[in-house]
Amino acid sequence: MTAPQNPITRAIWDGTLPIKFSLDSTEAAALGAKAIVEPYFIEAPRCSYFPLWTSQIRKYFVDMALNFIGDDAEIWYDVDGTPLKWHYPIGLLYDLHTGYRPDSNSPPPLPWPVTVHFKNFPADKLIKAQAIDATQDFFMSMIKEADFLRNGSTKKVMNLSKNDQTQLWDGLWSKNYDRFWSVNYRLVINDGQMPKNVPMRIYLPDNCPVIQEPISPVDENGNQLTLGDVLHQVLPELFPSPLPSENASASPVPVIHGIIPQLEIPIVWASQNLCYPDNFLHIVVLLGI
Amino acid sequence: MSSANNDPTLLHSSSTSSLNTSLAENTTQTPQTPLNPAAILEKYKGKKDPNKVVVRFRAIGNAPILKQPFFKITASNKFQVVIQFLRNQLNYKASDPLFLYVNSAFSPAPDEIVSNLHKCFSTDGHLIINYCTSAAWG
Repeated sequence: MTAPQNPITRAIWDGTLPIKFSLDSTEAAALGAKAIVEPYFIEAPRCSYFPLWTSQIRKYFVDMALNFIGDDAEIWYDVDGTPLKWHYPIGLLYDLHTGYRPDSNSPPPLPWPVTVHFKNFPADKLIKAQAIDATQDFFMSMIKEADFLRNGSTKKVMNLSKNDQTQLWDGLWSKNYDRFWSVNYRLVINDGQMPKNVPMRIYLPDNCPVIQEPISPVDENGNQLTLGDVLHQVLPELFPSPLPSENASASPVPVIHGIIPQLEIPIVWASQNLCYPDNFLHIVVLLGI
Repeated sequence: MSSANNDPTLLHSSSTSSLNTSLAENTTQTPQTPLNPAAILEKYKGKKDPNKVVVRFRAIGNAPILKQPFFKITASNKFQVVIQFLRNQLNYKASDPLFLYVNSAFSPAPDEIVSNLHKCFSTDGHLIINYCTSAAWG
């Protein structure tokens, strides 16, 4: 089965990040690693999730004589001391935690240095997975939450056959674009109906609470709202105008999938083309350079 | 003398009064003095919604019914607090299976914020949480 051709969703799907996984040095010693353990490198899709890589990462470090017999769910990741939420897509975590502005003059911090932990799971900061397929459950729940925002019910997801529902997750972890998008486009296109609300979340730096509100894609006269309109509506102080600021590099910008989208794009178009596989538009707002 | 040169307000002293008037009228449209984004961020960071929202619990299947199903919960809390609260009400241990859904539709992540859920999904001002002892809408 092939998905409708869309170069944008394809490019986002193919987007990857080189990541460098290093062991926490004190943990490594406690877990019997005798020498300095070389880091492990992967190139992970931005749309993927850390737990999908855990068994591979675990195998590498255990093969390097790390003594670990615990459950995969014990393994967690951090960046500069901040635990990474495993139920967020990797690309979102990168944009959020590096705070890297694609329009800056400095090179991106790649490969992205991430620390792997095999001990001391921070249960106060991260959700402890109760089951092996927790990532899939969280992912499907996000898709249903998105559907509820669009339609006021989860009828569109629930009307998918069991096979099609499974295909969403299977397509994601097996990195099969056609498998995933042949089902997902039916959800994001919403049978051609204007959604009630756009499934989106906005992330600000410095651990500000995540912003999620009902965002109508049209104004009271039925005119389509742009990304700039929505940012201006939700964060009027950071986006005093729906239009781009003249002093671009000094102004806050939205970042999605490591790019700064134009503020003039209709929010519905952004939702359909730039959403993550969980159907949400995850927008990281970065302040001026 | 030198401090006067560094004071930007003095450069426009002749038009100060008219500028102030237009600022007062147009603050929402085009602020003349951009606010410091870092200061704005501080505001958002500390923005703990002190309001409480009404959560209504509804049992599904053989889950025990609460005598009093309405509760007020602080909006800035994470959904984890709602889960824990319900467990306490039911006297459930951490190992007892309990599944929570919003509007019989989806299961929010424990780190989602109650005020966000309330803004997006409440019905007649109530955030309706269905709960059961086995997965219902997986």
